[in-house]
Amino acid sequence: MIRRLYLLGILIIGLLIFLPLLGLEGYRLRLITLIFMWVALAGCWNLMSGFTGYIDFGPVAYFGVGAYCTSLLMIKLSLPFFLSVILAGVACAGLSIVIGLATLRLQGAYFAIATFAAAEALKQIILEGDRILGVDFFGGSHGLTLPPPPSGLFFYYAMFFFMGMVVSLNAIVPRTKFGYGLRAIREAELAAELSGVPTLRLKVRAYMMSSGLIGCLGGVEAYWLTYIIPDDVFNVMRTIQMVIMTLLGGMGTVFGPVIGASFLTLVAEFLGARFVYDYLIFVGIVIVVVILLRPQGILGKKV
Amino acid sequence: MIKLLECRGVSKRFGALMAVRNFSFSLLTGEILGLIGPNGSGKTTLFNLIAGVYVPDEGEILFKEKSITRLPPHKICRGGIAKTSQITMPFSGLTVYENILVAALYGQNLPWREARAEAERVLTLVELDKHRGELAGKIPVALRRRLELGRALATGAEVLLLDEVMAGLTPGEIEEALILLLKVKKQATLILVEHVMRAVMGISERVLVIHHGEKIAEGTPAQVAENPEVIQAYLGKRYA
Repeated sequence: MIRRLYLLGILIIGLLIFLPLLGLEGYRLRLITLIFMWVALAGCWNLMSGFTGYIDFGPVAYFGVGAYCTSLLMIKLSLPFFLSVILAGVACAGLSIVIGLATLRLQGAYFAIATFAAAEALKQIILEGDRILGVDFFGGSHGLTLPPPPSGLFFYYAMFFFMGMVVSLNAIVPRTKFGYGLRAIREAELAAELSGVPTLRLKVRAYMMSSGLIGCLGGVEAYWLTYIIPDDVFNVMRTIQMVIMTLLGGMGTVFGPVIGASFLTLVAEFLGARFVYDYLIFVGIVIVVVILLRPQGILGKKV
Repeated sequence: MIKLLECRGVSKRFGALMAVRNFSFSLLTGEILGLIGPNGSGKTTLFNLIAGVYVPDEGEILFKEKSITRLPPHKICRGGIAKTSQITMPFSGLTVYENILVAALYGQNLPWREARAEAERVLTLVELDKHRGELAGKIPVALRRRLELGRALATGAEVLLLDEVMAGLTPGEIEEALILLLKVKKQATLILVEHVMRAVMGISERVLVIHHGEKIAEGTPAQVAENPEVIQAYLGKRYA
């Protein structure tokens, strides 16, 4: 059974790598690239919230900061794209230590509120920074325009690379000592601390990993779209999508975010094509139905 | 005998309530110390102070003559003091084996191979082999108490603070728990908080009595049971 699953996995990976060579292009290529991005983003959220049980309601902060860092590095310093993305990821990981050390002492809804507030605050800083400081740096609500990007194929593989990394981390982490520590925190934090688990340090580390990768993804998307504005890259809808995709697929599972993100992106895309104005109603109905039938997520284990 | 653990004038206040007041005692290597007192007398608070869950307002706590007063719980645990809780807190979604494995991995900071071996050893010691694959959240109370004990043992602690390990057990289960504690005694020094008098009086070599956060008596179980202040605290003035 496990053997067959591995085989299936390798088959799918192979297919995804060679798909563009078999004539996948245009809209379909874009759609699959989009799915890769959401799978990766939901997976990042799962790395933090799925394993530690701390509901992060501000992951979009790092998506936005990553997008802006990458753009600024490419525009102002003319750094190459990949270097910019990696530096953006490092910057986001660094920022997450500061925010994490402050917010990860809070529990339950308070943590969610604090991270949500942090994301909104960062958006306002970038929106208003230029006006307050009297400079022309972030571009305010006009946003930033990046250098012309390479073909869609480039982003297909870039997103595929990050998705592969995130999914692998989701598979590997729970089997490591680090992963056991995180799961212990999720199940009973005080008991974990009393068993010698340095809870705050592990939580910050998980938060860093998740945030750094989200930052990289923000950078890739910025270059892909070539034009970013705070209202889009810091849009709270992105946070909500990451959360819903993961919950739909199954929180704390390896493939939950993969299934949830693919499913929701496809549903939104197909319904959006057919019912341009009110497709969100149908997306909502689909989510409600799934939650009624499988409250623990499509792949989640029943507790 | 060396003083393994020592509390010097420890106090803890919650608002207007003085939960533990100027409490001092010392624990000698290898003994079993019983800590008894009526409900709400401060036993659990004292344990939480030693384990680092709370920081004392006053006083000092020394372990092997070094102060551990302000250390976070995970450092105290790694240093060698583990606590079980009155209300069991299993890692519900993990199996019994994994619960103990986490404690071995982190409490003793062991590499994988050794942590696994240690978890096996503890699993056998607390007689949970048969239940190793079950989810910790689904096993009955008596087993959960043993799991708490196993988790504390797997951290490699030299001092175990056992908060009501026998609460809610049947007489037969208490008997088994006592036998287990005598086995555990070979590895660690124990402090027991217990309401089951027969158990605590039978097994402890020395007993401390705490009432309204203060120590009111100390001595062998027989001495303490005769102490008028202790009788008064438990039964009222009429019986003292």
